[in-house]
Amino acid sequence: MFKFNPQTLKKLHRFREIKRGYYSFLILAGMLLVLAFGELLVNSRAIVVKYEGQWYFPTYTAFYPGTDFGFDYSYEVNYRDLRDRFAEEGSDNWLIMPPVPYNAFENNGHGGVFRPTPPSAENQHYLGTDTTSRDILARLFYGTRIALVFSLAFTAWVYLIGISVGCAMGYFGGVFDLLFQRIIEIWSNIPFLYMVIIVFSVIPSTLSIPARIGILLAVMVLFSWTGMTYNMRTETYKEKARDYVAAARILGASDTRIVFRHILPNVLATLVTFMPFVVVSAIGAITALDFLGFGLPPPTPSLGELLKQGTANLRTAPWIVSAAFVTLVFLLTLITFIGEAVRESFDPKKFTVYR
Amino acid sequence: MTEMMFRRLRLLCFAALSVGLLAACGGGDDAATPQQSAAPIDNSEEVQAYYAANPDFFSFKMPADIPQGLDWQNGSGLAEMGSPEAKKGGTEYRALQDFPRTLRIIGPDSNGGFRGMLLDDVTVPLGFRHREYFDFIPGLADAWARGEDGKTFYIKLDPRATYSDGVPVTVDDYMFMFWMFRSPYVTSPWYNNFYSTMFTNITRYDDYTMSISIPASKPDGEARVLGLRPMPRHFYKEVGEDFVDRYQWRFAPTTGPYVIEDGDLKKGRSITLTRIPDWWAKDKKHWRYRFNADKVRFTVIRDTEKIFEAFRRGDLDQSGLNLAEYWYEKLPDDAPEVAAGYIKKAVFYNQRPRPTYGLWINTARPLLDDQDIRLGINHASNWQLVIDKFFRGDYGRLRTEHDGFGEFTHPTLKAREFDIDKAQAYFAKAGFSQRGPDGILVNEAGQRLSFTLSSGYQSLKDVLTILKEEAAKAGLEFRIELLDGTASWKKVQEKQHDVHFSAFGVILEMYPRFWEHYHSDNAYDQAFLEDGSVNPERKIKTQTNNLESFADPEMDVMIERYRASDDKQEMIELAHNMSELHHEHGSFVPGFYQGFFRVGYWRWMQYPEEFSYKLAQGASELFVHWIDEDMKRETLEARKTGKTFEPSIKVYDRWKED
Repeated sequence: MFKFNPQTLKKLHRFREIKRGYYSFLILAGMLLVLAFGELLVNSRAIVVKYEGQWYFPTYTAFYPGTDFGFDYSYEVNYRDLRDRFAEEGSDNWLIMPPVPYNAFENNGHGGVFRPTPPSAENQHYLGTDTTSRDILARLFYGTRIALVFSLAFTAWVYLIGISVGCAMGYFGGVFDLLFQRIIEIWSNIPFLYMVIIVFSVIPSTLSIPARIGILLAVMVLFSWTGMTYNMRTETYKEKARDYVAAARILGASDTRIVFRHILPNVLATLVTFMPFVVVSAIGAITALDFLGFGLPPPTPSLGELLKQGTANLRTAPWIVSAAFVTLVFLLTLITFIGEAVRESFDPKKFTVYR
Repeated sequence: MTEMMFRRLRLLCFAALSVGLLAACGGGDDAATPQQSAAPIDNSEEVQAYYAANPDFFSFKMPADIPQGLDWQNGSGLAEMGSPEAKKGGTEYRALQDFPRTLRIIGPDSNGGFRGMLLDDVTVPLGFRHREYFDFIPGLADAWARGEDGKTFYIKLDPRATYSDGVPVTVDDYMFMFWMFRSPYVTSPWYNNFYSTMFTNITRYDDYTMSISIPASKPDGEARVLGLRPMPRHFYKEVGEDFVDRYQWRFAPTTGPYVIEDGDLKKGRSITLTRIPDWWAKDKKHWRYRFNADKVRFTVIRDTEKIFEAFRRGDLDQSGLNLAEYWYEKLPDDAPEVAAGYIKKAVFYNQRPRPTYGLWINTARPLLDDQDIRLGINHASNWQLVIDKFFRGDYGRLRTEHDGFGEFTHPTLKAREFDIDKAQAYFAKAGFSQRGPDGILVNEAGQRLSFTLSSGYQSLKDVLTILKEEAAKAGLEFRIELLDGTASWKKVQEKQHDVHFSAFGVILEMYPRFWEHYHSDNAYDQAFLEDGSVNPERKIKTQTNNLESFADPEMDVMIERYRASDDKQEMIELAHNMSELHHEHGSFVPGFYQGFFRVGYWRWMQYPEEFSYKLAQGASELFVHWIDEDMKRETLEARKTGKTFEPSIKVYDRWKED
């Protein structure tokens, strides 16, 4: 079991004391938890159906055709219609819908045409609908989930590659260091956004949407890991010259062991403080790409796409842009607060005497 | 003008113009600088040598050689286009989404959206199709006649005609035009080919009389000849190896009313057209009441939303409101500017060949080569819902790929309706009878019924998502792929698509074209063997407009007869038969057509009483509007003081189809 050393514990304690960051962290963690089980909250499928003595839990199962519930169509049953029918019949059949009974893809068109409708509790469109009458709350919810998962995965990969390469450069030095420095200089001069746009535009659409999102992630990571390496390199250079590293080497520790067991924990502070900002930049990048129309393939829900729709309908449907904008600001503020708190609590100037 | 329109085909269709705002698109602003320093050259000798080397094409005869007893036509008796009430003067403000990449009308980058303002919409051809009667009215030609062979057209030029620099237009400019368009200097293979194969002869009788011949006699043969525009040889005498650079930013003398004066071309920012006060056709019937504004100023505004806001502010005079979103929500009838009568709204129903919005199914792809699957896709595409709910019932359902060609359009064929049961029956016939866990049909091999639905129309992406949602009900999955216009064009030209949503812009002509879209020559190299059976080793032919990879020997035979026929009745019959065959084949799902155009315009912008013409494509296409500067002052003043006028929302439905 990984055990924190007293210093790390101290830092964590310090983090808890910075209330703004700590609560932001709790809110974000709570949000992630809620988003993880989002299908139970925002979904066009019922949570539970009792029909003719049978129980159904459609949320995570295969679809049930309309014929299973006495409708005459073979495509997926519309649970909202089913709910209304049960209410009309007054039979023992019942079902529970999620609080937001829409998914992110259906065109609902309550007024007979597809157009933005303002927020309405009666229709259960709590944030209104977008230009093709899709529920904004549902799109926002799943869009946020995708953005967060995407940015966390992005951060993990950027860190993994950045740390490995950076540490290796700092630790081995010499020709290896020189070579990689040049490679990174060249690589980081390739304009990131253009490359993503170009690469993503040639991805064949025959791939499934998750696969295409995966490729987008890979491309973004490919052009983003370089920033991390320089910090790691300098930190490793510094640590490498210290006595404890020399001691470990004399004891016969392998390079891998020295890097990962001895050096890495000592440069943790730098790593951790950057993390929230990497997440922020990832959310920003994916939103920007979507806004420009080069991001997640349609009809994937996304914050950028909502922002784009919103700005195009600023006068006629202000609820679209405000919902997306508020969500984005809220999300980025939370993460920035966490980032500040982490940075402060890990700041060596406050806790270290010897440096 | 036929050949221009050929070229414009692609542009129109893939730029989604018909649903967007009234804004042109073109190139970027990274244009090359003109090569002012290039030494002058003179190609006169080269041109004369070329004429001499091609005596069959370029003939020189005497006026006495003109056959006697020709039936000279001059389109007299057609009601005049434009309104006698039109006032000259004022400045019209328009927006451009992209600055043109060149002022050349031929060669690389010349096919942009501004080309209409340099050539197609403003210059004068020999004859011009009247937008009400379809017949020709005189332009540069005073009169024209078809020869006995049906292939040669005799033309008398209007001796008054001059270019904007005062040089008279003569037959020599037409001969020169053929030289120029056939020369390699212009780097336009399409022009080289068209002007070498679609015309067989030009004969000069005197400065103002000529004849032009085409290879075959066709019912609408005069359209090809009368659409020709001259090239001023005194201006293009420097055409040579460096044509593309040399003429990049030179404004050519024009037969039209508008010129670009020095200093009016601000690269990347704006272009101003100025009307010539003593234009040669200023008193000519059909032309005198058009082109009324003294200046037309184009400002580059890249974002469509910004263009619309600029219009609402009064910086632009007019804006297209074709999309329901704009007509009903962004500028509703009760919008303050409309209610106060400052901005007028108008819908004009037209009748003309309709752009072919629909799903183009590539039958060369696996599964899509199965007719049952294609018919299933037809029944699983809910266009009616798109029309009713997304376009708010304003648009109509396209019936065939050739709507709007009058008697050439099939009288009874209808697009297949959205019907889940029928769709499923067809899919089941093709082996897809079970639904997978996500509701999409699978066959016994476990293959999902899933196709890519691609498109280059960013502005119509909602249509794709609606179709996707509805198709899923029938157990069909569409994977949406939204590309930018160029990438999407490339994709379909490479025949890499499964199902593609797009449209070909259709030009105003007598009968539809079939060869481009359905002939097997455009689908495969050697589609069939000698004995008529399918060639097992045939390869897909790329870079053609046969987007369905349609290959059927029966169709080929009909197309060839249709192309060779000079009998209108026979052609009509063939067109109907071909439409039927195509319908049965099920490789095209007809989408929608917009049977009108609608605009919002400030009240100082005036239109004739009937607003526009039956065959018109857009409100400002014919330049019959005018700017009333007094009214503009009055309106701007009223906006400050709060004075209002009678609101005006007009529907011109004289040409409305059922």
